[in-house]
Amino acid sequence: MIANIFIHYFICSAAREREKAQKLLAQRQLTEAKAPASSSRAASPMGNLARGGKKATPAPKSVPAANLDQRQLDLAGLNLVDKEPSKAEEAPNMTFAHDKLLEEVKKTIEAQEAEGKQRLSLVVIGHVDAGKSTLMGRLLYELGRMDERTRLANERNSIKVGKSSFSWAWGLDGTTEERERGITMDVALESFATTKRQITVLDAPGHREFIPNMISGASRADCALLVVDASNGEFEAGFQRGGQTREHLVLARSLGVAQVIVAVNKLDQVEWNNDRYDDICTLLRPFLVQSGFHPSKTTFVPIGAMLGVNLVGREGDDAKQLAQWYKGPTLVDLLDKLEPPQRDIATPVRIPISNIFKGQGSGTSVSGRLLSGVVQVGERLRVQPGDETAVVKSIEVEEENVPWAAAGSNLTLALVSVDPIQLTIGSVLCPLLDPVPLASTFTARILIFDIQVPIISGAMVELFHHSRDVPATISKLIATLDRTSGKVVKSNPRVLAKVSSAEVQITIRPTGSSGRSIPMEPYAVNKAMGRILIRREGETIAAGIVMDILG
Amino acid sequence: MKLVNRHIDKHGTGHVTLRPEDDEDMWHLYNLIQDGDSVRAPAIRRVQKVSSTGSVDSQRLRLNLTLKVTRVDFSSSGSSSTAAPAAGSDDAADPSSAGQPDSTAALHISGPIIVENQHVRLGAFHTLDIEVQRDVRIEKYEGWDSVAIARVDESIVPGKGAEVAALVCGEGTAAFCLLSQHMTLVTHRLSLPIPRKSGSSSGATQHEKGLNKFYGTLFDSFMRHVPFANVGLKAIVIASPGWVRDSVYDYMVAEASRRGDKVLQKALKDKVIKVHISSPHVHSLVEVLKSPEIVSQLKETKFAREGIVLDKFFKMLGTDEMRAWYGPDHVVLAADRGAIGTLLISDDLFRASNPETRKKYVAVVEAVQQKGGEVVIFSTMHESGQQLNQLTGIAAILTFPLDIEVVEAEEREEAERIRLAKEGEADGG
Repeated sequence: MIANIFIHYFICSAAREREKAQKLLAQRQLTEAKAPASSSRAASPMGNLARGGKKATPAPKSVPAANLDQRQLDLAGLNLVDKEPSKAEEAPNMTFAHDKLLEEVKKTIEAQEAEGKQRLSLVVIGHVDAGKSTLMGRLLYELGRMDERTRLANERNSIKVGKSSFSWAWGLDGTTEERERGITMDVALESFATTKRQITVLDAPGHREFIPNMISGASRADCALLVVDASNGEFEAGFQRGGQTREHLVLARSLGVAQVIVAVNKLDQVEWNNDRYDDICTLLRPFLVQSGFHPSKTTFVPIGAMLGVNLVGREGDDAKQLAQWYKGPTLVDLLDKLEPPQRDIATPVRIPISNIFKGQGSGTSVSGRLLSGVVQVGERLRVQPGDETAVVKSIEVEEENVPWAAAGSNLTLALVSVDPIQLTIGSVLCPLLDPVPLASTFTARILIFDIQVPIISGAMVELFHHSRDVPATISKLIATLDRTSGKVVKSNPRVLAKVSSAEVQITIRPTGSSGRSIPMEPYAVNKAMGRILIRREGETIAAGIVMDILG
Repeated sequence: MKLVNRHIDKHGTGHVTLRPEDDEDMWHLYNLIQDGDSVRAPAIRRVQKVSSTGSVDSQRLRLNLTLKVTRVDFSSSGSSSTAAPAAGSDDAADPSSAGQPDSTAALHISGPIIVENQHVRLGAFHTLDIEVQRDVRIEKYEGWDSVAIARVDESIVPGKGAEVAALVCGEGTAAFCLLSQHMTLVTHRLSLPIPRKSGSSSGATQHEKGLNKFYGTLFDSFMRHVPFANVGLKAIVIASPGWVRDSVYDYMVAEASRRGDKVLQKALKDKVIKVHISSPHVHSLVEVLKSPEIVSQLKETKFAREGIVLDKFFKMLGTDEMRAWYGPDHVVLAADRGAIGTLLISDDLFRASNPETRKKYVAVVEAVQQKGGEVVIFSTMHESGQQLNQLTGIAAILTFPLDIEVVEAEEREEAERIRLAKEGEADGG
């Protein structure tokens, strides 16, 4: 009986394998013909092979290959996974072949678009105490994502410790320390649905000490919601030099966030003064443009988060004063209009890990954002840096188990057959045959912000790349560039002054624990993997893109 | 280090005999001994003898050997013992009770033997393994220059070693460092993954569990790697971004009182200084050293001095670029013009294998000192020294602004003038 099934399986898979290899070859020729030399990855046979390799299911070694490229078959065969049967009970098989999966993904995304329920992720940013968490807590409640019981519990407990004003924020600030101190320290992840969008919210901390966490959050987002405090003095504190209203905006833009909604909060504290609202908008607009946000992708909305005014609607007594002069959209209306960016589903899988924790049962769970490609249950992924591989046991997107997930989703993967020691925050999950390159020295084009001390070669900095930060050195100043045209102004400059653009070489300093190579890719190959931020002594000094990986 | 004897005449020739006592002395010796010097030290060498009957007899003998140095190697085992991700696995030795930590640095000197004795042929190679409490005699091939003599003087001052332990930590990471006058040893690194809160309540509890485990591990490593009971240890610095340092300190105090460890309780009360830094990496030690808390307590120590001067240089670079110069060529030009107020120079440059290079830097140091300038020699074993090394190892804060472009143009003109003069002479002659 069992033997029968095996034979059947063998024949089927052999046939399947042959078919696949042929398709692969055709596909490869096609891409080679199409792809210009600009993208080295697309043009290299390795890239295609790798993508092909993923599809390989267990298959017999002897495939009749009269008219096929033997090398390709061999490589596809490398993924034979002799160990697979032994892990069979815990590692589920893949349900889709890769190209079928791609088709399915495309179909689903189109369907979502037609239905008007597009997915996107939103990072909430702003100066400390602007009311980010409170706004999110209130919004979750208004949209029915937080139940009455939780709300009452938070209200009761916060009153008990004399912090009743934090009752809404407690919906997102879960740890004891956060509640004691009354500030957000790490990114909270929540999700809700508006009429037209399915939104994942990343509630970033506003305190300057936790900018690394904010960066980790912002690098997982498509759009940003900037919360500013309208009360007298507070807006100015956040917007002046060194305030986080400024820094967060610049960071978010450098990390590829192009759309922003500005929520002017706490207007109740200035008696819903129309002039104050207008003043704040006028002050922010030029700065947003200067930071690189296009005016058409920037919207403003007046709100009162604590009272729940103008989040979903403007009913009730609290909103009367606002309703007198404001007739525009509510916050939720604006959220409905956010446009998800183009997803890159055809490029190889890249998932930078932002959190590792014990999942249900025995396995290890990681969460992070799928930057590109499509991942499915049963797929074996490689952990870079390191030699470890892992099999995806289940995928969870917004608390729902799904068979596959496409680029752009913030997901939680349950991994099996992996040693959790080998997983660190900042590691990248990638396909077996198309691993993300490791870099210890690379060149980058950077944009230098308004800094006090100029950058000289040999400057010690911290390099931020997704959820990882490592000590690094600006080892060489290659050239200063013209900010608009990108042309070389001066080669081998002695110093890089503030507000300028330059090409530099960056070397990662070896540290005891984590070696000296981190996974990254040139911006030209994978945009999301090629963005870096440079900080020094608690201040963001530059943002840039990776040009070439030198070693 | 103890000075056993010293015979240096006014021309700089002569020899010095020193007795190293701890790791730091090894570092001093490493900086003193150069290629070409002759070094005499006790050694154990296996000597083979062939008797008249042809049988080979091998013996290990303790000999005093004199080498002409061709290579000097230094390794501080502290920094080489990297990354054991899970603590608790390594040795259970307790340095807190053992007083002075054991000497872990190793200094190896290789070269051909230049003084023959009855067991060893002339010219045979040997590698001396320098040990504490064994005399080393150094004779300089090039003669003793002012920098080398200053180094000897500095190294023999007793009891100058203000030891400071620093704990640089972030959420889930920690590095234990021991700072002495010339060295920073990273004795242990700790890195535990702490699940982050992710919104759900289960995430928050996992986060707290992870944190508690981290504090526990940190406490154990602290007991093992920080000689807190040692009288020589002036301060224990706990540095971190955010509020981790407070939590760590509170946990340690609570744990110490739970265990009833009176010594630890006293040490925590008297010695701990909490310092804010911006990132949980070891290079933030520089930030620690220039923080007001440290400066007020330890300003006479060398490492604090280095931190302050380096910070001053960077600040000058920001405010008046023309008064902050770096790079050997530029600094030499500034020295020629008598413009240097403070010279920052790494000891790495004096270890140059080429004697000419060393002479050049010694000349710069002497020129600056003659004009009343201040010279700070940075130790490569400190974080500040490593940062200076990244900036070519030499930098200067000038007393008056000088435009680098102008100075370079002047130099070119000068060179041109000399060349023309020479040509003129040649034509005339």
